[in-house]
Amino acid sequence: MIKSIAKKEFISTLRDRRFMALSIIVLLLLLAATVVGLHSYNTLQAERDAAQQTVNDQFANSEDRHPHRMAHYGSYAFRPKSSISFLDFGMDSYTGASVFMEAHKQNSANFSQAQQSSSLIRFGEMTVAFVLQMLIPLLIIFLCFGAFTQEKETGTLKILLSQGVSLRQVAWAKVAGYSKVVALVVAPAMLLASALLFGKGGFDLSGDVLVRLLLFIGSYLVYFFIFIVLSVVVSALHQRSSTALVMLLGIWILCCVIIPKASANLGATLYTTPTKAQMDADVHEEVAKGIDGHGSGQDERTEALKQELFKKYKVSSIEKLPVNFDGIRMAAGEEHSTQVYQEHFDELTDIFRKQNRISEYASFLNPYLAVRHLSMGMAGADFDHYVHFQNEAEQYRYNLAQGLNNIQTTRLKYGDKETRLSSDTWKEFQPFVYETPQAGWALTNHIVSFIALFMWLALVSLVGMQLIDKTKIA
Amino acid sequence: MEYILEAKQLRKEYQDKVALKGLDLQISAGEIFCLLGQNGAGKSTTINLFLGFIQPSSGAAYINGYEVASNVTQVKEYLAYIPENVMLYPNLTGMENLALFSSLAGFDYSKEELMHYLVQAGLPADAVSRRVGGYSKGMRQKVGIAIAVAKHAKVLLLDEPTSGLDPKASNEFSELLLNLSQQGTAIFMATHDIFRSKEVGTRIGIMREGELVDVQPAANLNANELENLYLNYMHVAR
Amino acid sequence: MKKFWILIKFEWLNFRADKGLLILTILTLFAGLYGIYYGTTEINRQQENIAALDVLTEQNIEELKAKYPNGTDAGDIGYYHTTFAVNHPDSWASLSLGQRDVNPYYIKLRLLNLQSQLYDTENINPLKVLSGNFDLAFVLVYLFPLLIIGLCFNILSVEKEQGTLPLLLSQPIGLPLIVGAKLTFRMMLVLGMALLLSVVAMVWGQVSPDMRVAFWLSVVVLYCLFWFGVAFVVAALQKNSAFNAITMLGVWLLLTIIIPALLNVYIAVKQPMPQALELTIKQREVVHGGWDKPKRETMDKFFALYPQWTDTTEIQGRFAWRWYYAFHHLGDVAVADLALDYQEGLQARHQLVEQLNVWSVPVNVQTIFNAMAGSDLPSYVSFLQSATQYHDSLREFYYPFLFNQVNFTNADYVNEPRHSFTSSPDFATVHAGLYKLALSVLLVFAVGMLLFRRIKASVK
Repeated sequence: MIKSIAKKEFISTLRDRRFMALSIIVLLLLLAATVVGLHSYNTLQAERDAAQQTVNDQFANSEDRHPHRMAHYGSYAFRPKSSISFLDFGMDSYTGASVFMEAHKQNSANFSQAQQSSSLIRFGEMTVAFVLQMLIPLLIIFLCFGAFTQEKETGTLKILLSQGVSLRQVAWAKVAGYSKVVALVVAPAMLLASALLFGKGGFDLSGDVLVRLLLFIGSYLVYFFIFIVLSVVVSALHQRSSTALVMLLGIWILCCVIIPKASANLGATLYTTPTKAQMDADVHEEVAKGIDGHGSGQDERTEALKQELFKKYKVSSIEKLPVNFDGIRMAAGEEHSTQVYQEHFDELTDIFRKQNRISEYASFLNPYLAVRHLSMGMAGADFDHYVHFQNEAEQYRYNLAQGLNNIQTTRLKYGDKETRLSSDTWKEFQPFVYETPQAGWALTNHIVSFIALFMWLALVSLVGMQLIDKTKIA
Repeated sequence: MEYILEAKQLRKEYQDKVALKGLDLQISAGEIFCLLGQNGAGKSTTINLFLGFIQPSSGAAYINGYEVASNVTQVKEYLAYIPENVMLYPNLTGMENLALFSSLAGFDYSKEELMHYLVQAGLPADAVSRRVGGYSKGMRQKVGIAIAVAKHAKVLLLDEPTSGLDPKASNEFSELLLNLSQQGTAIFMATHDIFRSKEVGTRIGIMREGELVDVQPAANLNANELENLYLNYMHVAR
Repeated sequence: MKKFWILIKFEWLNFRADKGLLILTILTLFAGLYGIYYGTTEINRQQENIAALDVLTEQNIEELKAKYPNGTDAGDIGYYHTTFAVNHPDSWASLSLGQRDVNPYYIKLRLLNLQSQLYDTENINPLKVLSGNFDLAFVLVYLFPLLIIGLCFNILSVEKEQGTLPLLLSQPIGLPLIVGAKLTFRMMLVLGMALLLSVVAMVWGQVSPDMRVAFWLSVVVLYCLFWFGVAFVVAALQKNSAFNAITMLGVWLLLTIIIPALLNVYIAVKQPMPQALELTIKQREVVHGGWDKPKRETMDKFFALYPQWTDTTEIQGRFAWRWYYAFHHLGDVAVADLALDYQEGLQARHQLVEQLNVWSVPVNVQTIFNAMAGSDLPSYVSFLQSATQYHDSLREFYYPFLFNQVNFTNADYVNEPRHSFTSSPDFATVHAGLYKLALSVLLVFAVGMLLFRRIKASVK
């Protein structure tokens, strides 16, 4: 009985020309978004790869220089795009692509796509994620709004129920039938995306990418299922198709347009972001209390460091030290300033996290937000991946500066500002390579969204179906 | 004399069938014309043509001497209409609904007058200020009658007006019709109800497959004769 | 005409009695008020932050005064002294924040080479900027169409579906009058709200009362009319409510989301911006190469640009500030072409948007709003140019100290130039946009009229 109802829904939907036309449009958009995403991914990735290669070569083949000059010359970290970010750009268009890494100073990540665009970009971007998050639910609403109301309007529901099926059975049968239809629309694009990801596109097939892709696809399937059940339940609770439709469209607008923006804005209003200028000034003020790497070395802390070294090497003057005090002082200064900066940077990311938490918890009000966060996380285009990149770049910057300070300490004499080391020295340094963290790490960052998504699944399947039992038949 | 309601070779075709095959009909003031016929015989098509809701394929309908198709808005000043199933604005009260339709017809009644028309039509006084969404079909039908009466029209077009009314209300409605016809209103009523037609009608027409096959003065027939006549025509149809 | 007002009066009665519509309207009103609140707080915050920059500059000067009580070589000051180029918001910015949250509204500057400082970004939460601003422009551009759709999708179909149309049409009134009255009532309601919100925002945001008041209000009216035109076209198709709701939401989705997203793709392909990374890499190479070049060569190049300092003393020893700043400046000169190219690329992108916004009325309206508020890409590019000029004036201020080797004393700080730039509205874009908008409105109503006459109405 249930199978035959499901089959009836499936077949009659396939025969509905208007629905088929819409499905084809959505499918085409989905395919277009895949191609567009891949193109944009390839362009940006090639740009950044080439830039990274250039700066790596420049560093390794740099002229003969004093190590501290080299520390100021520095290097760049260009953020590589995660391989499945072509499906979901996430925040990538709003995060900086390049960080200049030099001694003493932590620079911002610059040149985001958004800064190079007019306000048009704020209307949104054509990505697979956009189609999956916003358009497919709309297609589902269109598919399901009449699930019960139409049967009520034509009177077929009474006949159906008089045959001995329960309302709940009818509902599940319809859900099964509609799920099959949605699968038919989504599957080709998912297959194409997977094929592109693992095909000749130049991606490395690693287990981690596969896990991310599976989680990505899995969370969307749960999301679609939630929308199908939700639509069927809403349809059952209404007497007329048009009111059920208006209700569902209202839910869609609230979930996909209003709440995401409102929650992000509310977060930013509640927790004030300090300006970069203020943060830099605070860092500067705190650092000034420590060792000034470049200073003439008259402050107390430098004196203490000096005394400590005298004691250690049992000498009485800087000149007699077996190591170069310039390098040591520089290293101590770098260590201190980095520590101070890191504290402030952590505070800043903490504020951002607090702001974002409003959106994360809003997932419990809105399955769209849950899937959006999970999707960005799996695509490696979320806030945590961005911070991870910034921290990696900062780590590299610190190691580079300290490595060069160490060279100055061990290979140069105190007060030597003239000696230039050959470029072979610079080849000792490994170039910056960014490794995307594991899928498990990405998932733990979105545990709230993950729980919210499954809470929604449970909510619509249990509570929703219970409501269906109470639906008015006559 | 000038007829209040007139059809000249009135014809309506749809793509696959002819709904009305050249109707000729004249109805004068004070007359009650009852049109009998099966579902799909063309009764509603005739009424819709007089209302200007659909356009004739050929021929013309006239109300008060004006051709309907070319004076769609003007002719409505002379007619009132009660559909088979009176549907009203569910969020407005019975009185608000009546006030809307009356004012559109050009009558700005006071509350007392509105109340009078509604109660006269048989609506319980306590229902007048309730929202129509909670009304039964019969109550809506009564508001529809009040709307028609309050319009003081020369012509009353009725499409199965008594369906959904209980026998008592139905009877009161018949009296109302007789009353209106005495005041000179021409009434055109499509109906299934042979006995009520006999009771109120001055003339009775029988329609079959888009043709007016017979017209008899009601006075010429008793109820049984009328039923036999009707069934006879229907039998021929089969 | 009397019947028209009767219909409007009863539309009001019907509207007042419909809880769903009331809630929708009140929600939109609150969204508008929140948008105004958000926009003004955001702009106030930016203004406070900009004001705080003066404090930071003062602190920096105090620190340097303490560090060099007897003055010092201006080179030290140029190296350690920071000042800011600031982009003050226009008084209208709170109505339409545009790109002001993405693009930095101040740039921290030292006397060092400009190109390594010009593109530094502000602390921004990427999730927040991704989600966008809930300002009044958003409410008007995105949510008002939804309100209009909610009010109008069943304008005619509901009369058929609830069965009131036959009775209504049996009165001496025509269908055009009914549709006209219904649309007029909804227009009065929606326009009343939109104009009210706009006026509240103008008063709350204390905008400068110029021509833009008229422009803004006319854009709001025309934009709402456009969506009523869409409702009219859909109503003229004489379909049922469900079809109308889906069609209208489909149009909304197409115009406010899908077309803009496709335009973004087109622009990215048509006008790529590879200059940025190239620029940043090259300027470092040139500046740092300066250390390794013979000083004479560097100075000769510099003097070719600034002959007035040619006769200053020969640079001796390992290091001199004037040589240092000379090769920093030469770094900027070396990438001037790329920098110009970058800015022209940004301008070209924006011009492309202005050409393409005929495809989407919401994009056009957003462009007009941002142009009025001076919050879009062109005003950021102007700010970059203004900051560049400021850097030039800073150099001109310090060069006499550096090249004449005059001690920079504590009394000299007050003479240092300060920067102030206020985004200005782009009236050319506003005019062009208004013209296009008016055409869209005419077009949509013409189509509606045509369809309304062509497609025969059925009563049931």
